[in-house]
Amino acid sequence: MKKIFSVKKIFSAKKTILAVLFSALAFGFKSNETITVKGSDTMVILAQRWAEVYMSKHPNVTVQVTGGGSGVGISALINGSTDICNASRPMKTSEREKLKTRYNSLGVEIKAARDGLSLYTNQSNPVDELSLDQIKQIYTGKITNWKQVGGKDAKIILYGRENSSGTYVYFKDNVLLGQDYSPSMQSLPGTAAVVNAVSKDKSGIGFGGAAYAKGIKVIKVKKNSSSQAYAPTETNIKAGTYPITRFLYMYTKSRPSGAMKEYIDWILSSEGQAIVNKVGYFPVK
Amino acid sequence: MRKISLMLTITLLFGLEIFAQPSIDGQILKEESKDTLSLSQNDITSAAGDESSQSSSDKETVSDKEEIENLKGALDGLNESYLDTKSTVDALKKIKISGYIQAQFQSGEIDGTSAAGSGGDFSKNMHNRFAIRRGRLKASYDNDITQYVLQINVDEKGLGLKDAYASIKDPWIKTFGLTAGVFNRPFGFEVPYSSSDLESPERTRFNQTLFPGEEDMGAQLEITPQDGPLSCFNLKAGIFSGNGIAQETDNYKDFIGRLGFKFPFEEENLAIDGGVSTYLGAVRVEDGKSLYKLNSPTTFERDSLTRKSDRVYYGADLQLYYDLPVLGGFTIRGEYVSGKNPGSSSSNKPYTYAVGNSDVFLRNIACYYITYVQNIGLSNQFVIKYESYDPNTDVKGDDIKGASGSKLSSADIKFSTLGVGWNYFWDSNVKFTLFYDIVKNEKVNPSVTAASLTPYKDDLKDNVLTLRMQIKF
Repeated sequence: MKKIFSVKKIFSAKKTILAVLFSALAFGFKSNETITVKGSDTMVILAQRWAEVYMSKHPNVTVQVTGGGSGVGISALINGSTDICNASRPMKTSEREKLKTRYNSLGVEIKAARDGLSLYTNQSNPVDELSLDQIKQIYTGKITNWKQVGGKDAKIILYGRENSSGTYVYFKDNVLLGQDYSPSMQSLPGTAAVVNAVSKDKSGIGFGGAAYAKGIKVIKVKKNSSSQAYAPTETNIKAGTYPITRFLYMYTKSRPSGAMKEYIDWILSSEGQAIVNKVGYFPVK
Repeated sequence: MRKISLMLTITLLFGLEIFAQPSIDGQILKEESKDTLSLSQNDITSAAGDESSQSSSDKETVSDKEEIENLKGALDGLNESYLDTKSTVDALKKIKISGYIQAQFQSGEIDGTSAAGSGGDFSKNMHNRFAIRRGRLKASYDNDITQYVLQINVDEKGLGLKDAYASIKDPWIKTFGLTAGVFNRPFGFEVPYSSSDLESPERTRFNQTLFPGEEDMGAQLEITPQDGPLSCFNLKAGIFSGNGIAQETDNYKDFIGRLGFKFPFEEENLAIDGGVSTYLGAVRVEDGKSLYKLNSPTTFERDSLTRKSDRVYYGADLQLYYDLPVLGGFTIRGEYVSGKNPGSSSSNKPYTYAVGNSDVFLRNIACYYITYVQNIGLSNQFVIKYESYDPNTDVKGDDIKGASGSKLSSADIKFSTLGVGWNYFWDSNVKFTLFYDIVKNEKVNPSVTAASLTPYKDDLKDNVLTLRMQIKF
């Protein structure tokens, strides 16, 4: 009768299993750590700078940074394809619900920097300041000519972000107070594209992070028509006088540990926060 | 699409750049050779040479400008094309197709294992089976204010409707919503919780019994305050036919509602959610049939005059979520339901689902479950779940003696189920589940001789092992 199981075969199988187990353990305890970061386009330049500096000081850690928008980053966090999500807006209740369903966790929110959400116009535009209500009326299509806000007789050309952008959502919620953007707004894929468009368009207006404000004019903003207008400077943002101040967030699925915790701790350290300043945003403390 | 458009833009620009460069260089070379030629003829003055150089530089500038204008034109064209494509894609993004398939293998303890709470009884001569437990395909259109949803279920038994509803939300404060059609009943936590997200293979036995199929036909008002102190609360309440996904059979409409709350403590990574629910409904007792109520401790008494029976449930549910450092998040969930349930003599399913045209047996019910789900890392999940379902709180197992006058039957026996399982998330789409249900039943009086009750003299051999693979998109 043919033997189905032989002692040799069993030992051989055991060896194979042990080899696989050791390989798996070796793989699990590999020395090189990779941290993936995805999300906000507003934060891409900051996140890349953090990653570059951190990797130069920690060669055993690789930080991979990609943009796509806050919404894209949060989706990636929920479906497990990123370790850290960057977002220029707070996570929505519906997004937290998805995290709860999948991970039984609300996610961990880290305030990584501050930003004065800036209004950009062309450098030739004579308008220096706008009230929140004027901005709202411009972006909802109720004010359509620069002369209605003290400028030249020219049609206002609106530039903005796509709806996957946290800046798009934050601006809609906090400046437009939930109202829809004017259909004439041109949605561009990134703050850099908005700045570029406004720098070339004498009648253009755009919005985005303070760090991108180069080659364009930054409008001073006032809470209402009778109040003083402020520019998005560090002093004004820290003092809370600039009306459209927001935090820039990092989110993790659950409490960070290991290399990810060390990286986040470093970002919040004075060294990490100094980079925030250099890039053009403002430290959280 | 956006990425493709961008890539096309970059590729085209890069291509234009490549093709543009040699032509400019070529022009410069041509100008240079002309200069060389004119100089070799030695009949042009130095001033004329300067003019020639100036002319060449001017031509070069004009040529560059032309190229830049060409590029700008190409870019503008692409941008227009991109915006056009984007508007089409944005419109298409409102339409979503999703679905999932749950393919499973189950093993019972004996041939014909009774598995009412684990996906249905096994056939008479088998104790293991493959099955498509759920095969869902959902199409929805959502433009923030209105929503259309149609979901079907396909398995080896056939094709059936699952959801078909239209929703509208107030466009001003986005707090009020109205839904009409076939959709989840707003009762408790587990009933409206998606089967694809459920950590155990099935809902609890009592939820499967009281709310078969989860959905019902009707209209529902939803209030979800977006801001302010009330934003922690939400209300869903509606009027339903009470028949599930089936045609209406009587004039009685059932009110179902849940007042829920969500208290997030983000700093602590803790969330406490919950709600209270009510089901206030009725069923019609058909002409010539009777309503039976348990008026004496162990005997149903007949009432042949009443044409209406209550169907009333009250429920409370609580969910706690907390994130354990290193290990991962966990949740503890509990739910309690009591009330009056109109069934038939042999079934504790709500009357309209059971036999239809039969006597109605009204029973007091009490049921609860508690579940602990612990995530281990990002891919693994441990689950333990305990459930108790008492379909007749007024009698104990020993009271069921099979006496024909008492009318007590297997529909009055209490069940409890302990389920232990493991979920492994292969990726964001694929989930594997291994789950074992240990089911205990109340034992009936040893004197029972009726064939339908004798198996319940002991604990039934009705434990079930489930292995499942789910793919969701």
